[in-house]
Amino acid sequence: MYERHSKGGTTGMKQAVRDQLGRIIAAALLATIAWAWFWRPPFSWTFGVLVAIGTIGAGIADGRYALRRIVGVIPVLVGVSFVVFALMASLPGDPAINILGPAATADQIAIVRTELGLDEPFFNRYGNWLGGVLTGDLGTSIVLREDVADGISRSMTPTLQIMAYSVVIALGFAIPLGIWAGYRQGTKTDGTINNVMLGFLATPNFVLAVMLVLFLSIGGLSVAGNEIGFRVLPAARYVPLGEDVVLHFKHMLLPSLALAMGQAAVFMRLLRSDMIATLRLPFIDLARSKGLPTRRILWRHALRPSSFTLLTVVGLTVGLLIGGALIVEFIFTIPGVGAYIFLGVTQRDFIAVQGGVLVISTLYIVVLTMSDFLYLALDPRLRGREVGARA
Amino acid sequence: MRKRLGFIFWLAVAYLVVLALAAVFADVLPIKDPAETFPGTSKQGPSLTHWFGNDGVGRDVFSRVIYGAQVSLVISTVGTVLALVIGGLLGMVSGYFSSRVDRWLTATLNASLVIPPLILFLALVLFLDGEAKRRIFILVFTFVLLSIAPIARVVRAATLSWAGQDFVLAARTLGARDGRVLFREILPNVAPSFVSYSLIIMAGLIVVEGSVAFLGLSVPPPTPTWGDMINKGRTNLDVAAHISLMPAIVMFVTVLALNFVGDKLQQYFEPRESVL
Repeated sequence: MYERHSKGGTTGMKQAVRDQLGRIIAAALLATIAWAWFWRPPFSWTFGVLVAIGTIGAGIADGRYALRRIVGVIPVLVGVSFVVFALMASLPGDPAINILGPAATADQIAIVRTELGLDEPFFNRYGNWLGGVLTGDLGTSIVLREDVADGISRSMTPTLQIMAYSVVIALGFAIPLGIWAGYRQGTKTDGTINNVMLGFLATPNFVLAVMLVLFLSIGGLSVAGNEIGFRVLPAARYVPLGEDVVLHFKHMLLPSLALAMGQAAVFMRLLRSDMIATLRLPFIDLARSKGLPTRRILWRHALRPSSFTLLTVVGLTVGLLIGGALIVEFIFTIPGVGAYIFLGVTQRDFIAVQGGVLVISTLYIVVLTMSDFLYLALDPRLRGREVGARA
Repeated sequence: MRKRLGFIFWLAVAYLVVLALAAVFADVLPIKDPAETFPGTSKQGPSLTHWFGNDGVGRDVFSRVIYGAQVSLVISTVGTVLALVIGGLLGMVSGYFSSRVDRWLTATLNASLVIPPLILFLALVLFLDGEAKRRIFILVFTFVLLSIAPIARVVRAATLSWAGQDFVLAARTLGARDGRVLFREILPNVAPSFVSYSLIIMAGLIVVEGSVAFLGLSVPPPTPTWGDMINKGRTNLDVAAHISLMPAIVMFVTVLALNFVGDKLQQYFEPRESVL
């Protein structure tokens, strides 16, 4: 595979970049995150930069593959937008009546219908809407009386925070446990870790959330006058990061934990099985015969080659996290995107729901593609081959 | 080495059977009416007359949990069976006729995975108008839609590996038609892997139904659902935690049992994969 690249007139400089691609990409990603953290640019900028880094990295690693993937994503995005639009357009009942309520007069209905462009043919409406979407205009929600794009980007911050924290927490549990269980495969330790994690896998995140609230924030069960539980963490409300950092993390801990534990179980099981496979390879025997300490072998030698599936799956689970985030936002009264869509649904506001679903699906598709690209940039063995979560 | 399923496996199976029977025969069993309010028992803890205690308005939590199982089990079973038939068929066709058919089917299935489940569901909920029957229909429809792709992928992978085996080649050399090869040669070999997988899918559907009910968008009251009970109980969490806790525990054990049985069966049928 490497031969193919070097044959194509690659200069030494380019080859050097390619060899260090994993490190360069990682550094660029960290730099972007640091920049976003201190500078607080609009969310779309950060996201754009991250996407650009991923795309450029994939382009350097394997230009043709990257190009093919990007071209392949476009019809999927168009398809999703069409499905979302068609779904909302085929809602039973007149949207104008839904918005105005049953007491509306014919004149009012006519006005709202023209305002929404409902009298035009279906494909014209779809074209208009798609044109608006491409220029960042998702329409104006009549029920919530605000610009949908504004509403979504405002609620994006808490959702992304919860998702980011829960991925960090999940990995924080999954990596050490996965390594340990893989190393002690077949022993009691392995069995215990596996069973506990299976338990978390089987706990729906809203059940876990309710349990966490019960035992960590309102004192738990009282048995014969004694409390079995704690009152250490707040159970609801959202505090922006800019307002009070400590309070922010205190309020985010329970929601993030509720979302993280199920993910941790998935991650742990994956890492464990990959660890077991890696630990059978000859280079581990070599490391051991050199007398390296076990801890060093596990963390420095075995972890990296075992973590590629994990990386892809972290990308894949973003979709699940969004669904989970919705429930968690509902329980902990956090004004995120899930809460926004939920409000849209209960108010029967199809413009808000349509915008929210489109943004989230697009985000999901882009993240999926990016995680494939990251895979390619980080694992030189895969370049020039068909790779990705889908392969 | 002899294959064993173990004691816990049978315990889980027994639990699931008892739960299913209780749900099916709830009307003839000597349990209390889930809608009846018992005066003066509001928020009372578990007792001999009311095993799981009473909820905020004095209804019997135990019988509500049993009746709630009806909704969860019916929706998840019907959803899983339909998804199994459709997804299994698609997966087998896709894995058996490789090349063009396969590429199109795989692309379509992958595309269907891009909308996050719960969000898709919320979008669909806009269709609902509170009428219980239509809501159940849409719930099942969404669940089938959600589980076709994962099932098809698993079945496709299994079909691919079996389709390359010598006995399949032999059958084809003997002049067997595609239909016969698929259903008589490949299906019996693929079946175990997707039956065990279907239990895990079913557990997933119970969780999704629970989440939806928790948001108040599943089958509307007065029909009891686990998710709705857990949600309603939250207002009394500090004084009467059992109202949320009991349905939560039952739901947890059910999902755990399904996952465990599915996992074990998979190991039982495919010992090689269980190492991974």
